[in-house]
Amino acid sequence: MTAHTLEKLLPQGTTAPRPMVQRGLAPSPFDARLRPLNLHQDWMPWAGYLSARRFDSVEAEYFAIRNQATLFDISPMHKYRVTGPDAERVMNRLMTRDVRKLKPGRVGYSLWCDEDGYVIDDGTLFRFGDDDFRLCCQEPQYAWLLDIAWGFDVQVHEESDEIAGLSLQGPTSFAVLEAAGLGQLATLKPFDVVKVDDDLTVSRTGFTGDLGYELWVPAEKALALWDRIWAAGHDFGLRPIGYAALDLARTEAGFVVCGVDFKSIHTALRPSRGRTPFELGADRLVDFSKGPFNGRRALLKHAKDGPRYQLVGLEIEGNKAPHSAYVYHRKKTEAGHITSTLWSPTCKRNIALAMLKAPYGVDVTGDLWVEIYHDKEGKWERIMAPAWIAERPFFRHTRRAATPPARF
Amino acid sequence: MTRYDAIVIGAGHNGLTAAGVLARGGRRVLVLEKNAGLGGAAAGYEIAPGFQAPRYAHLLHAWHPQIEKQLDLAANGLSFARRDLPTLALAEDGAHVVIEGGAARLLSGAAHPDAAAYATLHRRLVRFAGVLSAKLLETPPQFHRPDWRDLASLAKLGFDVRRLGAADAREFLRVLLSNARDVILDEIGDGPLAGALALDAVMGGHTGPRSPGTALTLLYRLAQGGGRHLPKGGMAAFCTALAQSAQSHGAEIRRSAGVAAVTVENDRVTGVLLDSGETLGAPVVLSSLDTRTTLALTGVEHFDAEAVRRVRHIRCKGATAKLNLALSGLPAFTGVDPDDLTGRILVAPSVQSLETGFDAVKYGELPAHPALEVLIPSRLDPTLVDGGGHVMSIIVQYVPYHLKDGWTAGARERLAATVLDLLERHAPGLRSLIVAQDVLTPLDIERETGAPGGHWHHGELAVDQMLTLRPVNGMARYALPVGGLYLCGAAAHPGGDIIGAAGHNAARQAMKAPQTKTEGHAA
Repeated sequence: MTAHTLEKLLPQGTTAPRPMVQRGLAPSPFDARLRPLNLHQDWMPWAGYLSARRFDSVEAEYFAIRNQATLFDISPMHKYRVTGPDAERVMNRLMTRDVRKLKPGRVGYSLWCDEDGYVIDDGTLFRFGDDDFRLCCQEPQYAWLLDIAWGFDVQVHEESDEIAGLSLQGPTSFAVLEAAGLGQLATLKPFDVVKVDDDLTVSRTGFTGDLGYELWVPAEKALALWDRIWAAGHDFGLRPIGYAALDLARTEAGFVVCGVDFKSIHTALRPSRGRTPFELGADRLVDFSKGPFNGRRALLKHAKDGPRYQLVGLEIEGNKAPHSAYVYHRKKTEAGHITSTLWSPTCKRNIALAMLKAPYGVDVTGDLWVEIYHDKEGKWERIMAPAWIAERPFFRHTRRAATPPARF
Repeated sequence: MTRYDAIVIGAGHNGLTAAGVLARGGRRVLVLEKNAGLGGAAAGYEIAPGFQAPRYAHLLHAWHPQIEKQLDLAANGLSFARRDLPTLALAEDGAHVVIEGGAARLLSGAAHPDAAAYATLHRRLVRFAGVLSAKLLETPPQFHRPDWRDLASLAKLGFDVRRLGAADAREFLRVLLSNARDVILDEIGDGPLAGALALDAVMGGHTGPRSPGTALTLLYRLAQGGGRHLPKGGMAAFCTALAQSAQSHGAEIRRSAGVAAVTVENDRVTGVLLDSGETLGAPVVLSSLDTRTTLALTGVEHFDAEAVRRVRHIRCKGATAKLNLALSGLPAFTGVDPDDLTGRILVAPSVQSLETGFDAVKYGELPAHPALEVLIPSRLDPTLVDGGGHVMSIIVQYVPYHLKDGWTAGARERLAATVLDLLERHAPGLRSLIVAQDVLTPLDIERETGAPGGHWHHGELAVDQMLTLRPVNGMARYALPVGGLYLCGAAAHPGGDIIGAAGHNAARQAMKAPQTKTEGHAA
């Protein structure tokens, strides 16, 4: 419709300009600090926000995660506050694990399923009090939480835009906190969460498999938090990182990403594309003994029938990361595909997460091969590389869980 | 704790039918009724001293003869004042129409101009209904991993459609999802005759004759030929016969025993908790309540959120009210001989008038001309009244559940006045005969019977809520996901009206489950 015809449709005398509508990606609460630091202006979309892919070089950012300290803006994460007398029951109805065992002041990683036992999303559940929870996750879940909460005495509040999050990760991250005047966090154990003051909440959580913390403040306090941490980090190699570097670290840590390593059943058109927690290797997160929860009946059946797929960790010979590669059995039969991969600079080997179709990865675990195509200076080369199923996480370090944490 | 093989919640006609079938299967059954009287929506009551009236439903419509036989209702006291009641469709201009099955004539004795076309249409619709009515006493098939019974049932449906012949099979498929108005007015002119047929399609529902899918509702109503029967002694006697039939095989019935909760352990029902605090054990519980109430009694946490969402979204808004009158004498209808007042008397002058009535309901208003189905049961069964009076039972179609300004005392009076004004156009002086009157709005019907939204069928009887989708996808085979829990009321296939099929089918389905195959204690 042209502007001309549109004008005719408007009531006579309406000449006032229509209000401006925010278009495109929204700036995060840390935008004013991130923008000047992003030398490449390399941005990507994340849940409607502008999110940095890299600030300088991915390699430097990656090594900072493993050797220094890094800041990553996690404000775009979806955050939901669930409060009220039935909050525990509702969260227990949602989650596959037993939320009753999660004590106030603790954070739990869990996933949740639809009625067919297929994973909707995974995320971290923060328990602030007996009837006060925050769910952090990748996919929007407000409508689903309302469905889960129907019939219960709870309030579900979407606070994605209200709460800013900053992930401080790396071996010197505690030293940075101490320099910022937060030395009292030394006693914080992995998966602890504590309210430092009226505005600041800190949890010892992260997506790197390393020592690290996540700092949460109201969005309007975001810049003050950034300045406080940024100033404190000067002597500890603190640098901002984008998603590209984080993606390498999280694969080393063996963490899965919804939409990459598996498809949320709520975004899959084909029901067969759903994956059960068992198929994602998260058996320990399914607690049948806790009573009813969403998808329980279907999961009991899945547990009996066995997995149709299996997400596995792979080590692959050579130094060419097999991006989007097929996995074969005996170099011949298609067994699955690689979902995430890198040549790990810390582990010094080729590692990957792969989705294999049963019986591969379940009963048949040997004689696996990965077909790697790579561009060798203008020449397209194909390598059939042997691969082995490996324990996850690929990267493990005692500093991750040491309490009190080392300075560096 | 007393233990039973099965507990049935609600002593409506479906609950009692289920109990009768279970008791005949050798099960030790207990029926729990929250009210002091039996019958649910089929109950009768004394409207004034010496006047027995049907409280809600006043006729057996498409009542299944097979259930009547199976439950031995004749031996338990059920007889009929009259089977296959005629219908008198009143016309504004006095050209009233008498309808008996497929035969229509003018009350004056003259031929109805559309009589031949109506006979053809009626015959065809009854044939079509016959194809579907075979499904009424069957558990709906499952499409996901069907067993041989499901495949046979589907094959038979296909075969039955083919057997109609090429032309009729094509016509069947053409009208199946169409609306009642088109199906009717394609064949006959609009007027009381067309209005009477259209009323069959929309009665009790929140639909107008133009609403999609109402042709299918009409076919449902024409199952078993669409005959309406008046039990001798009224609806109360019918319920008594059902209760006796169950009791004669050992079923117990407890009145004034409301259920506070269905108890569940390890994903299986263990019994019920009564309002009184008493617990009763049984491995099987059949609920004749609506789906949502059944879920709430069992505990929402026992159902996946998707199932709860489907149940939350069941379309269930009643649009039907009731006006019961005790009269000091038989009202005189202008131009109608008292002998012609023995059947249904309809005030539904045209298909268009029904649609206009529905328009008002959509916006929460009381229509100026609601459609009426009037019955004077005492005309056929004088035992209902001590002395010379009569009872008049009026079903008022198109009364909103959500009345715009709420159901105040004034609004209730306005409803009664609207109905009486409408009737007095045909029966002047009716008001002067009134000894007692009861107005039952959809809200009252909900409160008294538990029917959600005051909806007769515990959920709109429409194509998206029928067969394998009734009450919702995934619950259509009477068994709910919690082990041992069944739906046995109007909410389940094949739905409402006084058919008894839901109770019958649910009981049969429950008896197939292994935990109910244990020897009954009653033997």
